[in-house]
Amino acid sequence: MENSVPDIVLFLGRFHPLVVHLPIGFLVFAFLLEVFSRVKKNSVLTTAIPLALFLGGVSALVACILGYMLSLSGDYDENALDSHFWFGVVTTVLAFVAWLIRIEKIKLSNYKKLQPNIAALTLLVIVISVTGHYGGNLTHGSDYLVKYLPFNKEKKTELAAVTNLKEAEVYGHLVAPILDNKCISCHNQSKKKGGLSMVDSVSIHSGGKNGPILVPGSATKSELVKRVLLDPHSKNFMPPEGKTPLTDEEIAIITYWINNSNAGFKTKVANVKTPENITTIASTMLGLTNSNSSEALPTVTKVSEQLIASIEKEGFRVRELVFDSSLFEVVLGENTLQEGTKDQLHDKLEKLLPIKENIIWLSLESKGITDENVKVISQFTNIQKLKLGKNPISDNAVEYLTNLQKMTSVNLFETNITAKSLRVFSKMKNLKYAYVWKTNIKQKDLEGYSSNNTPKIVLGM
Amino acid sequence: MCNNHHQKIKSVHKDLQELEKQVDRRDFLKKTSLGIGALALGTLLGADKMFASINKNSSAEDILNTYNKNRLGLPHHLPKAKRIIYLFQSGGPSQMDLFDYKPKLTDMFGKELPESIIGGQRLTGMSGNQSTLPIAPSSFTFKQYGESRAWVSNAMPYLSEVVDDLCFIKGMQTDQINHTPAVTFMQTGNQLPGRPSIGSWLSYGLGSDNENLPTFITLVSKNGKGQPLKAALWGNGFLPTEHQGVQFRSGKDPVLYLSDPENYDGNDRRHMLNYLKDLNSLQTDAYGDPEIQARMSQYEMAFKMQTSVPEVTDLSDEPDKIFEMYGKDSRDPGTYAANCLMARKLLEKGVKFVQLYHQGWDQHSYCPGGVKSQSKKTDQPTAALIKDLKQRGMLDDTLVVWGGEFGRTVYSQGQLTKENYGRDHHPKAFTMWMAGAGVKPGFTYGETDDFSYNVVKDPVHVHDFHATLLHLFGIDHERLTFKHQGRRYRLTDVHGNVVKDLLT
Repeated sequence: MENSVPDIVLFLGRFHPLVVHLPIGFLVFAFLLEVFSRVKKNSVLTTAIPLALFLGGVSALVACILGYMLSLSGDYDENALDSHFWFGVVTTVLAFVAWLIRIEKIKLSNYKKLQPNIAALTLLVIVISVTGHYGGNLTHGSDYLVKYLPFNKEKKTELAAVTNLKEAEVYGHLVAPILDNKCISCHNQSKKKGGLSMVDSVSIHSGGKNGPILVPGSATKSELVKRVLLDPHSKNFMPPEGKTPLTDEEIAIITYWINNSNAGFKTKVANVKTPENITTIASTMLGLTNSNSSEALPTVTKVSEQLIASIEKEGFRVRELVFDSSLFEVVLGENTLQEGTKDQLHDKLEKLLPIKENIIWLSLESKGITDENVKVISQFTNIQKLKLGKNPISDNAVEYLTNLQKMTSVNLFETNITAKSLRVFSKMKNLKYAYVWKTNIKQKDLEGYSSNNTPKIVLGM
Repeated sequence: MCNNHHQKIKSVHKDLQELEKQVDRRDFLKKTSLGIGALALGTLLGADKMFASINKNSSAEDILNTYNKNRLGLPHHLPKAKRIIYLFQSGGPSQMDLFDYKPKLTDMFGKELPESIIGGQRLTGMSGNQSTLPIAPSSFTFKQYGESRAWVSNAMPYLSEVVDDLCFIKGMQTDQINHTPAVTFMQTGNQLPGRPSIGSWLSYGLGSDNENLPTFITLVSKNGKGQPLKAALWGNGFLPTEHQGVQFRSGKDPVLYLSDPENYDGNDRRHMLNYLKDLNSLQTDAYGDPEIQARMSQYEMAFKMQTSVPEVTDLSDEPDKIFEMYGKDSRDPGTYAANCLMARKLLEKGVKFVQLYHQGWDQHSYCPGGVKSQSKKTDQPTAALIKDLKQRGMLDDTLVVWGGEFGRTVYSQGQLTKENYGRDHHPKAFTMWMAGAGVKPGFTYGETDDFSYNVVKDPVHVHDFHATLLHLFGIDHERLTFKHQGRRYRLTDVHGNVVKDLLT
């Protein structure tokens, strides 16, 4: 496209979005005056209508001219632009017509029944609304207005969510969301800034008015990457000032797409050489955590501050193990219930039941815990680390603990358990360590105890 | 009290001036003739401030507490470690006399260290002007131990029993070649004093697990010789003062003046402290100086320590077997062995960071003898600590770190004989080990060349070590920051990568 439009024209053209609101105001105001004067039967109000219409017409004319200048930049989709252009012209003409009717230069006395004044104004409001809507579509994209419509949402054909990073499509799952978020608002079918649209593979390949934006295999030569890496103050920097720039992670993903998958549109992560930092970024983007299954964190319902405060009042120390996860470490604090009665202890433990799924580390050492108490604890099914050392508990307690299948380490040091518990430990599939120093389990009991697939038993050293 | 409230001293400190500029209740009402209008506007500006001293109930405090608890968004991920004991071997232990076995050196006794190995490195003033740099093979004998077949020299017979619990990092690297900057670098992430130490960062980021004891405690072996240690190593830098390490004295009385003076029953102390707290609160309201708050919390801590410290430092209820395990020194308060034992007790009570220092690893001359005598003091207690933590199940969530500020050279400083040699400072390669929470047991990471001079595989820089340490506590080292003098600081400054290979 030739770029012979003088700068002054483009400069003035950019005032279109500013001026365009004047006619809207004037004309709608004229309409409201007309309506009010009829309702209130107040003829004084009508005296301002001709002026409002006249100013509306003039400002609409100016807006039209500026709009035409703006359209010369060639950044907009022809079809959408056409509708806006012609509706704009119609609005302007109609404004003057309405004005002429109002000052009775055009005499329509034969059509009195049609009430030409109010009819013309109503039409005007309708036309100006349509014009405005088309204009809005040009600036913000045609799906801007109803994007967050709460009902009847038209589902975009979305890629199936992946559970494994390897199955993800480099473009579809990783790159497209970035473009959608940061680029599409100015580079779409109706608003093609710089002649560039990024809605699909075809438009991305065809590039913008300065040529292609991708050089497959070389991110540093690709305009797409060059532009986002420029000095943010440069006028060629993308996204332009005022919009959110791409993050380092997003740039890394795009670079990886262009370099490692040759900017392919269907390539999957599995088929591409993927460095570790990309794996991390991509996993976070897709909400996948790359951890081993035994240590995966359970998702639990959020717990209110008040509930935690009430538990802390009982003497428990509650610490959130991951920020905002509602997963807790609970320790029965020192100086609470040193030699308390059994009932008290039982009541205290019951206080934990509302957060039984949220506790993943629990420590109740030297607190006079009995087998009965362990029954309560065995309901805390998400526990991974449990410390019950220095308590008068026996083999029965260990039996209860088999409920805790996520447990990786259990501390039963200085308790009354015996060698019978050894077999019970192996029922807990995830258990890796059992600490049983100062119990009735002795070194000789461990003879013949195979350590494959069974937890490591730690005695005194 | 405080009737000269309106006569404010103008602060020199910029942050305080900022606070002074803020609209204060008295000034606001005084200066505004329209009292009602002022009240209305005051409500808009923030009712809390308007009625700060009238409405002194707990709710505002609760909100503030919740805010403070959440402000850092910590932990960033599930932690592996709950507490840490850092056995700092000050002076720079000789890696090739302890763990980094270099059998090829035996045949190179007395030969000149090749220039290609030194690689143009600038040596210290202590050996840089030597006419010759003769290779000094270790005079210790090495053997492999445990299932992990880790090499340990005969200087450390006790530690060789627990190698299957240790994770050796043989490719440690630092930037500093002299003691003070190197120790400061190791403890604070910067060679210049003034940055917060590792323990302060953890205390700031994760808070306390036992309000009755400091979160961060430092123990220094008594009668330490060699390079001096300074409080900046466990200092809080620019973090709030309550996060600094509290040093226990190495002696019979770890904290002085905890017991009441003669003829004083201490009954009105609580009353006195409450009144003092009120006075200090007034000052905080007026000046907003965080140091006043730090002072208030330290008074409270000291009060609690009157009961908690005698209890935790009393080793008399430990059975003889335990003392035997830590060695006979453990009955002598202030020794490394006694400190190891006390450290275990502190960790049991919920102290998050116990920092031990043992000086004297600076063997510029008489290296074989020096290493032997240093090992004799530290080997048994160190191994005992590992065992003791393990049998109590504490190694599960306690991180143990052993290491100095740098390593030592393969060439002899001073005269080399069959039995005797000295070794100079060497920052380019040294050995550290970790054990416990979240690190691979029975594992060796990294490799040095045949001279233990350069790292040839998997180097771990001090910044990487810090990043990994914070990672084990659930902290992303890039996100634990503190704004000071206009910029945000981290323990790892702008460096550091988590060494994932060390983690379970």
